[in-house]
Amino acid sequence: MIVQVSADLTGTVWKIMVNIGDQVAEGDALAIMESMKMEIPVMAPEAGEVVEIPVQEGDVVQEGTPVVRLKV
Amino acid sequence: MSDNDTGSVSQGSQLNSEWEAELAELHQRNRMAEAMGGSEGIERQHQLGRLTVRERIAQLLDHDSFHEVGKLTGKATYDEAGHLVEVVPTNIIIGKGRVDHRKVVVHGDDFTIRGGSSESTISDKWLFAERLACDLSVPLVRLVDASGGSIRLLEMNQATKIPGYGYAQGRRPDLLGMVPVVSIAMGPCAGLAAVQVVASHFSVMVKETAQVFAAGPHVVAPGIGEHIDKEDLGGFRVHARGSGVVDNEAESESDALKQARRFLQFLPSNVYQSPPRRPCSDSVDRRDERLASSVPHDRRKPYRMRDILAAVFDQDSLFEIGRYQGASTITMLGRLNGYSVAVMANDPLVRGGAMTAGAAEKITRFVDLCDTFHLPVVNFVDQPGVDIGKVAEERGTIRKAVRAAYAISQVRVPWSTVFVRRSFGVAGAAYGPFGPANIRYAWPSAYWGSIPIAGGVEAAYRRDIASAPDPKARRDELVAYYSRFESPFRTAERFGIEEVIDPRDTRGLLCEWVEEAYDIIPQNLGPRCRTMRM
Repeated sequence: MIVQVSADLTGTVWKIMVNIGDQVAEGDALAIMESMKMEIPVMAPEAGEVVEIPVQEGDVVQEGTPVVRLKV
Repeated sequence: MSDNDTGSVSQGSQLNSEWEAELAELHQRNRMAEAMGGSEGIERQHQLGRLTVRERIAQLLDHDSFHEVGKLTGKATYDEAGHLVEVVPTNIIIGKGRVDHRKVVVHGDDFTIRGGSSESTISDKWLFAERLACDLSVPLVRLVDASGGSIRLLEMNQATKIPGYGYAQGRRPDLLGMVPVVSIAMGPCAGLAAVQVVASHFSVMVKETAQVFAAGPHVVAPGIGEHIDKEDLGGFRVHARGSGVVDNEAESESDALKQARRFLQFLPSNVYQSPPRRPCSDSVDRRDERLASSVPHDRRKPYRMRDILAAVFDQDSLFEIGRYQGASTITMLGRLNGYSVAVMANDPLVRGGAMTAGAAEKITRFVDLCDTFHLPVVNFVDQPGVDIGKVAEERGTIRKAVRAAYAISQVRVPWSTVFVRRSFGVAGAAYGPFGPANIRYAWPSAYWGSIPIAGGVEAAYRRDIASAPDPKARRDELVAYYSRFESPFRTAERFGIEEVIDPRDTRGLLCEWVEEAYDIIPQNLGPRCRTMRM
């Protein structure tokens, strides 16, 4: 199944840490958000394969915006 | 007496008694109870990767400690002469047993009999179990695996009834104030079964095989036109990773049963006892060198709070509750020199550790658990403040945050605070010296205030900054000026923080504190009552 990993807070996508096709483990940082003057990671909730990255570095995203889609 | 004992007495023993026939029937009835829903039902249960209720009870309890109550309940058929042909057991099993040598009461649903449906239930049995736990003042464990009510009941009873179970329903809220209650969701739990899951201090659900919902897909579809499968409706992703309806998820039934045992090890049997202490081989003087550098000097960089906690508390003693919900706050049970403590901490990796609506609800519930069972609280603070923004406002975050703050202020258990980094605003104010015996410690990395300096400068010097030839340079200059006041040493000079400590000394200081805490806990034993908060 596809698990959508969303930004859990409003902020800027500072760095994207993965590429499409990457295998990730639970807890891996998929992207780093800049918010509240901190670098806050978006972490993989489950192990899986990165199948889509619908944001780009520098995007300002609202809470709940999909950042990465994982096939688990 | 164990299941095996009752089963074996009848075999091979030649009785010389006038009651031989009755005793034989008793043993026959016991064997019928142990057969549950029959070999086919048991096999189906095993094929689904699930244990039978009797196997679950055996795994939950200490070896051979189960004493079943009400084993003979069921639907019997008799031949024309009135002789017993068969008993289909009731699909609830209840009894007493021991977890780590301490007595508990357990009730479990037997899914091999009509899918645990209430058609073949005698509800008096689980009401009796609840009452027994209350009367004996021992924990209650619920093994929930029941599909809920059935329309066929109407035909059986030839009437409908007003929902509810009389006297015992009134007892249930009392139960939660008296003894620990643990629920394990082990299959689809709808309606009343869902109530049993949530009417607990700690709940855990088995991944993929357990679901929890007020009503299952077959009721949802005709009711509101939503077509959804049971996992999407009430699986672990919904409830153990979002709604907060269930605290923890488990990889397997064995894992779930192990978590239930683990939770109970930290708690007293009832509110009249202090939490139990266990032998500890970890030195109270252990100083973990990593603590000296676990918080980055660069305030933009988060760090792993769980690593800090693992370095401070007794080795391998931490048991996390509700990891995936309200996740900016971490709640755990753990040990210091063998003493049970509750651990609350912020996780800067999740929403910066902010007080979100979810975290506030989690804190309120956790603090109530600690206060009810007299668990001293150790609080590692890195609190940037109440969650902000439109979504946070729509969630009613500020009200929930104040409610959490009031819950913290109402505790009567010893409380210890370790300020690790930030403590700001309304949420930061919640971690004051409310509980007894609270000596607050701060690490040198700690800083605090009513308002963060960068934002504060922006607000107070708006015109000044705007009219400067180089606004950014002016802003930086002001931030640098105000930042000098943030040193925790300046607060300590004024006794605004009791002690600033070397992080490596944290364990030793907390182990000293926990002894003092347990000296005063007996003064406050018994049930707790609180005001309505808001």
